[in-house]
Amino acid sequence: MPVIELSYSRLQKLIGKVSKKQISDSLPFLGLDIESEDKDLVRIEYSPNRPDYSTDYGIALGLQGLLGIKIGSVKLTIKKSNNYHITVKPTVSKIRPFVTGIIAKNGKIDDKTIKQLMTMQEDLHFGIGRKRKKSSIGIHDLDKISFPLIYTTTTKNHKFIPLNSEKELSISKILSDTETGKDYGSLLGQSSQVPIIVDANKNTVSFPPIINAAITTVTTKTKNLFVEVTGINKDDAEDMLSVVATVLQSAGFTLEHIQISGVKNSSPKLQEKKMIVDPSLINQTLGLNLNTTKIITSLKKSRLTALSKGKKIICSIPAYRFDIFGPMDLVEEVALGYGIQNFEPTISPSQTIGQTNPLSLQLKSLDQTMIGLGFLEALNSSLSSKRVLYDMTNRDSKKIISVLDSKSQEHTILRDSILPGLIENLSRNIHESYPQKMFETGSIFNLDNPISEKTNLAVISAHKDANFTEIKSVLQTVLKIGFGIQIETKTVIDSSFKNGHCANIIFNKNIIGIIGEIDSKIIDNYKIRVPVVGFEISLSDSIFKSLKN
Amino acid sequence: MSQVFHDIEKKIIASLKENPLQTPETLEKSTELLPDQIRRGIEWLKLKNLAIVDESKSSTLSLGKNGLDSFENGLPERRLLNLVKNGPRKLFDLQKQLGFIFGPAMGLCRKNNWIETSSDEIILKTIPSILPGEKTLQQIGSGKLSKGELDIADLTDLLKRPDFIVEDIVKSKKISLTNSAKSIDVSNISGAIDVEAKVPELFVARTHPLKDTIDEIREIFVTLGFSEIFGNMTQSSFWNFDALFTPQDHPARELQDTFFLDNISAKKIGTAEQIRQVSDSHKKNWRYQWDINEARKMVLRTHTTCVTIKHLAENKPDEARIFSLGRVFRNEKVSYKHLVEFNQIEGIVVGKDANLRNLMGIQREFYKRIGITKIKFWPTFFPYTEPSLQTMVYNEKLGKWIELFGMGIFRPEVTKPLGITKPVLAWGGGIERIAMLKYDLDDVREFYNNNLGWLRSNTKCQ
Repeated sequence: MPVIELSYSRLQKLIGKVSKKQISDSLPFLGLDIESEDKDLVRIEYSPNRPDYSTDYGIALGLQGLLGIKIGSVKLTIKKSNNYHITVKPTVSKIRPFVTGIIAKNGKIDDKTIKQLMTMQEDLHFGIGRKRKKSSIGIHDLDKISFPLIYTTTTKNHKFIPLNSEKELSISKILSDTETGKDYGSLLGQSSQVPIIVDANKNTVSFPPIINAAITTVTTKTKNLFVEVTGINKDDAEDMLSVVATVLQSAGFTLEHIQISGVKNSSPKLQEKKMIVDPSLINQTLGLNLNTTKIITSLKKSRLTALSKGKKIICSIPAYRFDIFGPMDLVEEVALGYGIQNFEPTISPSQTIGQTNPLSLQLKSLDQTMIGLGFLEALNSSLSSKRVLYDMTNRDSKKIISVLDSKSQEHTILRDSILPGLIENLSRNIHESYPQKMFETGSIFNLDNPISEKTNLAVISAHKDANFTEIKSVLQTVLKIGFGIQIETKTVIDSSFKNGHCANIIFNKNIIGIIGEIDSKIIDNYKIRVPVVGFEISLSDSIFKSLKN
Repeated sequence: MSQVFHDIEKKIIASLKENPLQTPETLEKSTELLPDQIRRGIEWLKLKNLAIVDESKSSTLSLGKNGLDSFENGLPERRLLNLVKNGPRKLFDLQKQLGFIFGPAMGLCRKNNWIETSSDEIILKTIPSILPGEKTLQQIGSGKLSKGELDIADLTDLLKRPDFIVEDIVKSKKISLTNSAKSIDVSNISGAIDVEAKVPELFVARTHPLKDTIDEIREIFVTLGFSEIFGNMTQSSFWNFDALFTPQDHPARELQDTFFLDNISAKKIGTAEQIRQVSDSHKKNWRYQWDINEARKMVLRTHTTCVTIKHLAENKPDEARIFSLGRVFRNEKVSYKHLVEFNQIEGIVVGKDANLRNLMGIQREFYKRIGITKIKFWPTFFPYTEPSLQTMVYNEKLGKWIELFGMGIFRPEVTKPLGITKPVLAWGGGIERIAMLKYDLDDVREFYNNNLGWLRSNTKCQ
């Protein structure tokens, strides 16, 4: 979840008459988690579905509603204008086909505003922009640009001075040498052409989605802004623009239209959308009994506009609230506007009879039996490592199931056996007193179109007199007492066990497991100083099934 | 402190008062105690200065292979003399009859002048009634004896012969009472024992503490009318993400958050209808080209919700209370607060009248049963529920609010494509977090370390 840093005093200025405590008490009820606070600064985690909360301007709008200071939807006022035009050339269609934008004039920009705009831009790029793949933003100093603009393509030899650089660089150089070039260059594919926005003086304005030109850099002296959003989908690009437009208007800018034309592109409308919701859906879903007036007030406190029409409610949703898909989302807006703290939890009587899964019951009985035999229950991860599963225990690693790009070396392969983990556990306990007796029940994984998951029991005993007879007695007893079944053991050779001290466990003529004295090489590998005996059996196919018959 | 004796000590003192010098073996017989009890009892009395332990070495003799042969058939020289006592015999015949003992027998008989040889015949000169060594051989053969009980000269002769006599050195202990012990009247000692003494520590076999918490939580939900279902830990992306309205380009579906199985895809992920409906919902609402191959990719489930949604899609109940409990996975760096694999409980209520306040009510009831009464609800966001809430619970020990279960009502974009028509309340959360509060742990890794020091010492009844 993205995190943003805010200042209480700045928020107070933006919201109106409100105390610091009112703000911090209300933030969670907007769905914002306070991560940490330090005097005037507060770090807040917000949900990626609400990119308008990526600036204090957006959060102030939400708080105004919740606190009842300003309610109803935020209307965008966009002045019509014939001064700004972008023409789209057909060559961009195959690379990044859409551009949209807006002009924002007469604003005051201080360092804090620049910082807020930059974090907003980053969060929009990362979240709804899907790391600039779907859409990306450029914010420019309008007064450094001569309209009309052209959105077109150029070759990689094209040169301009990119942001944060002092000299001209070719597109190729930007892609190979700059940080953003390296990070996002792959979004442009293999084409020799790249998208570019140039102005009437042939100056490069932007090389989307990689970098802006240095000349249009926004500073504290900037008064007027040009915002462009490019992307692979027109609606997504306009969604992103609507967030920026709303934030800039809240920051005191006056918005003006840009006319956009060419190859399926058109000027953005950033209009409200209408949605009808039935009060009975709201009351039924929330378990409340609110009248229409109360519902409308609640929606307004969530910064939407609502009117009653007959028995229904018509809701107007501003463009930046594209997280609202349908009536159920409006139900949530009512819940938030009404205030989650005002909901009284209730218990509805259950019409159902609860039941523990039979597998859980069987495993629990098995646990009890093992404990009766003096064994301590261990728990290991199902996601283990080649070292534990195969290298240390000399097991065959041909059919491993591994995960991609694990951040932890210890967790890379799904276990196909439990016993190796228990042996490793012994190695971590060599300083503890013996005997050490442990067991574990759990899932093991094998490749089987695509994967089969079975439940196994593994048991281990380590002490100076540990031997085959002891562990076979345990095996025999747990199966007899636990399940009333009898097994046989037949000699076998296995790399994990000492030769001549190892046997297959046979039940109903099927091999269901293995038992024996652990090979001394393995014990040495782990620097364990006492003999170790153990067994592992499959419960899924044989033993648990035999119970059902 | 008053003089207190263990039963074992009392028995040993009593026996030694009757028979003042004994070995552990004789004490075993007289007291009817086990060897280990005698050993411990003597050790205790010695420490209290009540018993004297005199350790000595002694040797006992027994017959070796050749000695045993002679014990049964006579000494070689005796056998030779017996063969010639009724008249001269051919040397060749005697050699054949006596085998390998012929040589040593001849040597001795000639040296002692008991026989004489003439050309190829052997003739008896004299035959003593008892030959040197014969008496000792009989004595040793009829029971192990110590050197002191034998005629040393007679023995020396036998000791020189190979494999005749075997000498065992035996350590023995003689136990007697000290003077102060002799005055103890055992029959007069009270039945008191040293109740203040330290006793050995025992280690209990037990279920894992985390398992105890899991069982406790399972039981709570069963008593609240919920039934438990199981599902696989390996799931197709379809059930883990797509069916839950998580778009295919969502950051949660990247390698850095979710464990994808290397090169493993599911052939069958759902019915044709389910796949069509889910893909349509994605295309319409998220505006992108839905790719079935992306949905086939196998992952380690990131939540147990995939198990419940699959169950709902298959059974389409109009009314149900179901929960699922098990391991879930996140590709995280392991730390004191993060594991790659942890347990989650997740439950749902299906019913035409199921609503948000019921959902909050179930949470409140659950928390009450695990001893948490100070709770509040905050709005939050999950891709597959709307509205969505999270519970905050107040922890007295930490003195702060902490986040526990998340909850919400399944979005119509989730339920509709799968043919689920009634509202579905869902909630879930990690179990380790609850267990950490219960066991006062700061490091979540402890649950999977299998550190015997911790497992053996943890308080079971909490």
